[in-house]
Amino acid sequence: MRIKDIINFLKQPKIFVFAIIWMMMLVVLGTLAQKDMGLYTAQNRYFSAWITWFWFVPMPGGRLTLVIILINLSFFFFKKSIWKIKKLGIVILHLGGILLLVGGGLTAMFSSEGNMVIEEGAQSNHVEDYHFMELAIINTSAVNFDEFTIFDQPLLKRNQVLAHANLNFEIEILNYLENCEPTKRTSPAGIQYKGMLKNFILNELKPEKEDNWNRPGMIYKISNSGTNADGMYGIFLGQSISQTVSVNDKDYTIILRRKRTYLPFSIELLDFKKILHPGTDIPKSYSSDINLIENGVVRKILIQMNEPLRHKGYTFFQSSFIEGPNSETTVLAVVKNYGRLFPYISSIIMCIGLLFHLSQKLPDLFRKSKEKIAV
Amino acid sequence: MKIHNLTLSFIILLCGILLPRDFDHRDIPIHENGRIKPLDTFVRNQLLLIYGKRSIKPKALPEELNSKGLSAIDWFFDIALNPDEGDKYRVFNISNPEVVASLGLYWDPSHLYNRKEILSGLKNQIDYITTIQGKPGAELTQFDTHMLKVYSNVIQYQTLSYSLSCLLPLIQINHKTIAQSLSVNPGDKLSYYQLMRKANQLSPLMERLLNQDKDEWSESDYELQHIMGILNEIDQDKFARILKIIPPESGNQNEEWQSPWELMESRMIGPNQEKLLITLESFLKSRIDKDTVKSDSVLAEYENLLSHSFNGLSNLTNVKLETWTNQANLFYKSIAFYILAFLLLVISWMTKPKLLRRISFACLLSGLAFHFYGILLRIIIMQRPPVSTLYESILFVSLIGVICASLLEYNRKDGMGIFMGAIVGGVLHFVGLGYANDGDTLGMLVAVLNSNFWLATHVTTITIGYGTSLFAGVLGHVYLLQTIRTPFDKKYLKTVNANVYGATLFALFFTLFGTILGGIWADQSWGRFWGWDPKENGALLIVMWQIMMLHLRITGFVKPMGFALGMILNNIVVILAWFGVNLLGVGLHSYGFATGIAINISLFIAFELITGFGTYYWAKNRQKQLTAY
Repeated sequence: MRIKDIINFLKQPKIFVFAIIWMMMLVVLGTLAQKDMGLYTAQNRYFSAWITWFWFVPMPGGRLTLVIILINLSFFFFKKSIWKIKKLGIVILHLGGILLLVGGGLTAMFSSEGNMVIEEGAQSNHVEDYHFMELAIINTSAVNFDEFTIFDQPLLKRNQVLAHANLNFEIEILNYLENCEPTKRTSPAGIQYKGMLKNFILNELKPEKEDNWNRPGMIYKISNSGTNADGMYGIFLGQSISQTVSVNDKDYTIILRRKRTYLPFSIELLDFKKILHPGTDIPKSYSSDINLIENGVVRKILIQMNEPLRHKGYTFFQSSFIEGPNSETTVLAVVKNYGRLFPYISSIIMCIGLLFHLSQKLPDLFRKSKEKIAV
Repeated sequence: MKIHNLTLSFIILLCGILLPRDFDHRDIPIHENGRIKPLDTFVRNQLLLIYGKRSIKPKALPEELNSKGLSAIDWFFDIALNPDEGDKYRVFNISNPEVVASLGLYWDPSHLYNRKEILSGLKNQIDYITTIQGKPGAELTQFDTHMLKVYSNVIQYQTLSYSLSCLLPLIQINHKTIAQSLSVNPGDKLSYYQLMRKANQLSPLMERLLNQDKDEWSESDYELQHIMGILNEIDQDKFARILKIIPPESGNQNEEWQSPWELMESRMIGPNQEKLLITLESFLKSRIDKDTVKSDSVLAEYENLLSHSFNGLSNLTNVKLETWTNQANLFYKSIAFYILAFLLLVISWMTKPKLLRRISFACLLSGLAFHFYGILLRIIIMQRPPVSTLYESILFVSLIGVICASLLEYNRKDGMGIFMGAIVGGVLHFVGLGYANDGDTLGMLVAVLNSNFWLATHVTTITIGYGTSLFAGVLGHVYLLQTIRTPFDKKYLKTVNANVYGATLFALFFTLFGTILGGIWADQSWGRFWGWDPKENGALLIVMWQIMMLHLRITGFVKPMGFALGMILNNIVVILAWFGVNLLGVGLHSYGFATGIAINISLFIAFELITGFGTYYWAKNRQKQLTAY
C-alpha cells in the first residue's frame, strides 16, 4: 500500500511540469550569466551543480532537476493507461527521453576532455586537462630513467603537507593562488626565500572570466630535508626556468603543470595546414597531418574540422592552432566519453515515437473544416 | 550523390530552357570575398556601399540625361571608360548633417553629392581623418565613423573609375616614324598595355632620344617624349586594383584572381591571361566606339577563353544564373503577391467570398512559387544547402511558414491559412530585406560551417522548427481572435484548437530533432554533445517550452485558451533563441551579429505580450458574458 502511494506520487506529470519550468529558469539564468562569469563558472554554478545557491537560499541545480525529471519519467511507465496501441508512440518517445537523460548522466560523470598540443615535427603521448593542475616532482639523479612523483589538484590547497616515500623531504603548501602574476621584488628578499622567490613575488590576481585563461601559482615550504634546501619557494604555471633542488645527492625538478593523462600511443604532427578562401581572411579549413604511433607501428592520418580521429575510445578534434615564427603548433581537443552513443540511439528512438504519434494524430487534427466560411 | 547531381542538372536544364541567354558584359566573372561572381553583383554591391541602393535613381543623374534611372553595371562602365568624367553622378549619400557641414557642402535634401564636391571638402579634413584612422573602433564617435565612411567611399569610387585605365585606348600615335615602328597607322589610339607589349619595338627610338641633345630633337622625338609623359600619368592609376577579373594562369581554385593593374605591375602575365586581357581591351574599345556587333563577338570570345583555357574554372552557368537572379528580384515579386493575397482576402470578407478567396489563395501560391524559386537559385549558385547565414534563415523560415499556411488553407478552405501565410511571409520578407541591404548576401563560410551534410541536416531542421513554431504561435493568435469574434461557435473553435495542438506537435518534432542533430554535429566536430552554449540553450528553451505546454495541456493546468496563449509566448522564445543569443556576444554561434537588432526584438516581445495577454483576457471575458446570459 505504501509503495503504491509513493509510485502514485512519483508518476504525476505535475512534477515534470514544475521541474521543467525550473529547468527553463536555470537555463535562462545560466545563459545570461555567461556574459559576466564565463562559460565554465556558469556551467558549474547552474548546470552541473546539484544545488544552486541564490544568496543563501539553496535551490535545486541543473543536475538535481534533471535527476528529478529522470525519476519522474521512469515512473511514467507504471501508468496502466499508457499500455495501449494508441499510446505506443508516446511510450516510445518517453523511452527515448530516458535514454537521452541517462546518456547525459554518463557523460557528465565519466567523460574526460583535454588538449593535446604538438609542434610540427614533435610527438606527444599525453593529454592536458583544461582545468586541473598537478605538481610533478621529478627525480633526475638516475642515469637511465627519471622518477616522477605527482600530486593531484585536490591535494593542492593551502596548509596541505605533501610527503611521499620517493621523496626525502616534505612540502608544505603555504598558499595556492587561482591566478597570479610574478613581479620583480623592489627590496632584497629575506634569507628564508629560495629559488625564484629570491627575485620575484607572486601577486594574486582576480580570476579571469574563462577558467583556462588563469595562471595558477603556489608558495610552498620545503622542510625536513636536513640540508640547506629547506626554505620557501614559489612556482607558477608555464614558468620558463624550472625549480631544481638537491637533497642528499638527489636532484629534483619541481613543476606545476596542467594535469596529464598518458595515452597508450603517441601522435606526431607532420604538418598543420590553414587554408583561407582566396583573397579573404575567412578560413576555409584547418587540418593536421599526423602520424599515429602505436607499438612501433606508424599510421598516417589527416585530422580536420568536422573529421576527427577516433582511436581506442579517444577522439581527437582539430580545435585550435598557434602560429610560430618557424613552425606551427596544432591544438587537438581530446575527449573520452562513454555516453557518446546515447544521443544517437535515443534520437532515433524518439524520432520513431514522435513520428508514430504524429501519424496517428495529425490527420485528425488537420481534418477538413466542416464550417462554411468563418474568418 | 548521383541523385543530387541528377536533380541539379535537371534544374539547371530547366533554368536553361527558361533563360537561353548569351554571355554579356554583366556576366564577366570577378573574384571577390573568396567567391567567383558576376561583375553585375560586384558593381551592385559597390553602388549599394556608396549610394545606398543597387541602381541609380534619376535624382542622382545629371539632368540633361533625362533618363528614368541607370543600372549599376552601366554606371560602372561609364565611369571606368571615362574616368575623368565621373563627377556627373551624384551618388555619394551623406545623411549626417555634421559631416556635410564640415566638408563645406550645402545641405541637400536628397543627401546626394558628387565626387568633385566630396574631394574638395575632404582636402581640408585630411589631417583629422589621418588622426582618427589610427584609433580603435570603440573610440570613434558617430561623426568619425560617418567621416571615415565618406573617405573610404570616395577612394572606392576612384578605384573603380581607374581600375581599367590600363586597357583603355588613351594614347594617340600621330607621327609616322613612331607609328611605323609600332606597326600601327598614324592617328591610331593605343592603350597603356598595348604600348607596354610593344615597348621593345620602341627601344631603338628611345635610345636615340636619350643619347641626343634636346636642341637636336626631331618632331618624332618630341612626340615620343609626350607619349612617355602620358604613360607615366596613366601609371599613377596602378592603385586601382579592385577589379580581380583575371583568373590565375594555373586555374588553381585556391589561388587569388588578379586585377589588370596587378598584372601590369607584376609583369608576370601568362599566355592565357594575356589573351584574356587583349580580348578585354578590344571589348572596352568596341564599347567606346559603341560598336555593339563587335562587342558581342568579342564577349563570345571572352567566354570561350574563360571556359576553355583555365582548368576547371568553367562554372559560368552559375555566374550567368546569378546575373539573372539579380535582375529578376524574385523576393520582391513574392512580397507583392503576399500583399495582394492579403488585400484580396480582406475584400473577400466583404463581397464575393468564394471567388475572391480562391484568387487570393492563388496569389499566395504564386508568391510561394517565386519565394521557393529564389531560394532554389541561391542553392544552385552557392552549391550549398538553403540555410547558412542569418539572412538565409529568415528567407527559409518565412518559406516554411507560408508552406504550413498553404497546407492549412488547403485543408480548411476558409481563408485562415491565407491570412496567416500572407502575414508570416510578408513580415519576415520585410525583415529579410533589411538584412539584404548590408551588402552581398552570398558570403563564404568559416571552416566549421563548411560542411554541407550538417548544414543540410541540422541547420535546415532547426530552421524548419523555427518556422513551424512561429506558425503555431500565429495560430494561437488566430484562436484567441476567433474566440473573441464567435465565442458561441464551440464546434468551430474546437477545430481551430485542434489545429494549434497539431501545429505544436509538428513544431516539436522539428525543434527537438534539430536540437539533437545540432548536438550530434557538435559531438562530431568539437567533441561534446552539449556545451551549454547560448545558441544551444536557446534551442533547448524552445523545446522545453513546447514540451511544457503539451504537459500543461495533459494535466489540465491550461485550457484551450491558455494553450493558445502559451504558443503565442513561444514566439518570444523562438525570436530570442534565433536572434537574441547573437546579442550576448558570447559562445561559438555568435556569427552573423547585427547591431540595432535589440530594439526590434524588444518591440516584437512587447507586441506579443500585449496582444497575447490582451486577447486572452478579452476572450475570457467574452466567454464569461456568454455563460452569464
